[in-house]
Amino acid sequence: MRVEHEYPGWAEAVEACFERGWTDGLPVVPATEDAVRRFLGAAGRKPDDVALAETTRRRTITAEKVAINAVMAGCRPEYMPLLLAALEAMADPKFTLHGAITSTGGSATLVVVNGPIRQRLGLNAGGNVFGPGWRANATIGRAIRLITLNCLGALPGLLDRSTQGHPGKYSYCIAELEEENPWSPLHVDRGLPRQASAVTVYAAEGPHNVLSHYGETAESVVVAIADTMAALGSFSPGESFVVLAPEHVQILARDGWTKPRIRDALYARARRTRADLKRGGKVAGAVEPGDETAWIHRGLGPEDIHLVVAGGGAGGHSAFIPSWSRDRNSLSVTKEIRLP
Amino acid sequence: MTIRILDPTVSADADLDTTVAKRVAGLDGKVLGLLHNGKINGDRLLELVRERLAARYQLRDVVIIHKASASRVAEDTDLERLARGCDAVVTAIGD
Repeated sequence: MRVEHEYPGWAEAVEACFERGWTDGLPVVPATEDAVRRFLGAAGRKPDDVALAETTRRRTITAEKVAINAVMAGCRPEYMPLLLAALEAMADPKFTLHGAITSTGGSATLVVVNGPIRQRLGLNAGGNVFGPGWRANATIGRAIRLITLNCLGALPGLLDRSTQGHPGKYSYCIAELEEENPWSPLHVDRGLPRQASAVTVYAAEGPHNVLSHYGETAESVVVAIADTMAALGSFSPGESFVVLAPEHVQILARDGWTKPRIRDALYARARRTRADLKRGGKVAGAVEPGDETAWIHRGLGPEDIHLVVAGGGAGGHSAFIPSWSRDRNSLSVTKEIRLP
Repeated sequence: MTIRILDPTVSADADLDTTVAKRVAGLDGKVLGLLHNGKINGDRLLELVRERLAARYQLRDVVIIHKASASRVAEDTDLERLARGCDAVVTAIGD
């Protein structure tokens, strides 16, 4: 294992990480050889094991580099298998890693965790699920960002050309609240057994809040979510993640709605006319006869809408998370988390 | 007590060939390649480039390739076609 730099003390090492451009703008935990060895041990990996090979910029990320960045992000060693599974998912050609981390679109990698590993690592799926306060959520998402910066070279203003980006680029990791999900959880929808632990990655915009407090019917919840999905700003044929708050889930389930029915209803309603898309600069050209009655839906079909349950027990606040990809160039990917 | 820390960064793979192609002195009798990256108006920009170059040089041929999407790298077959069939290639981003 190669030791790179020596400093008089901890504080100097923290400052040196800033000076070397190794941080996301926040202080990091200096990665010592001892800490990195413990992280590799927790994953059952050798330092030179390849975790991800990025083919466009030709970067090979070893398990040791993952461990170094995980230490720096503030992770615990037992988070390593989850991080490695997330990187395996990001390496899937369907994810289009190079485009996702460099585009003007400014996406972040949303990490959604399912299965028993949620409790084992102390991941938050409840109140303030997108917010601060939980080490596992905060540092797993941060580790993915540090790896994107330090290992994939997606430095702001250089390879990362985000026009604006969004706060999820610091950290963007949630768990699904499977205990409040009356239907199937995300990883089961994606073909894994319910008892498996899994991670899903999605090149995503930030969460768009869907407040619906007073309808108290499944119809009203679906109307509000679909309207948010149909907004011009993020309208595209890309995928959608809808993170349903428990209160909305209870209303939908009470009224007898199933996941397929919710997906069908959202797809049917999340649409705009071609005339709207042209007026909003989403499609090139002048409005022509027929455009006012030509309807275009968000996504290619109901199966492009992924439903996840998360959030606190009180409040009718769900979230719509649009895909970064304006068409079909980046798709979400789910991988099982294998423990050593 | 001193502290030793490990480098978190990764460089491009050592076998990555970054040799720059031999420059051409002029384009008379040469084949020009134009690679449009898929963003709107990139093709119009390249057409202007083609017009300007065609006015200055006697181009033997022009190979025009459109990437399907700006988000994805060019297909290997397209890059191969440009590399083998062209003396010079211009690529452009529109938007």
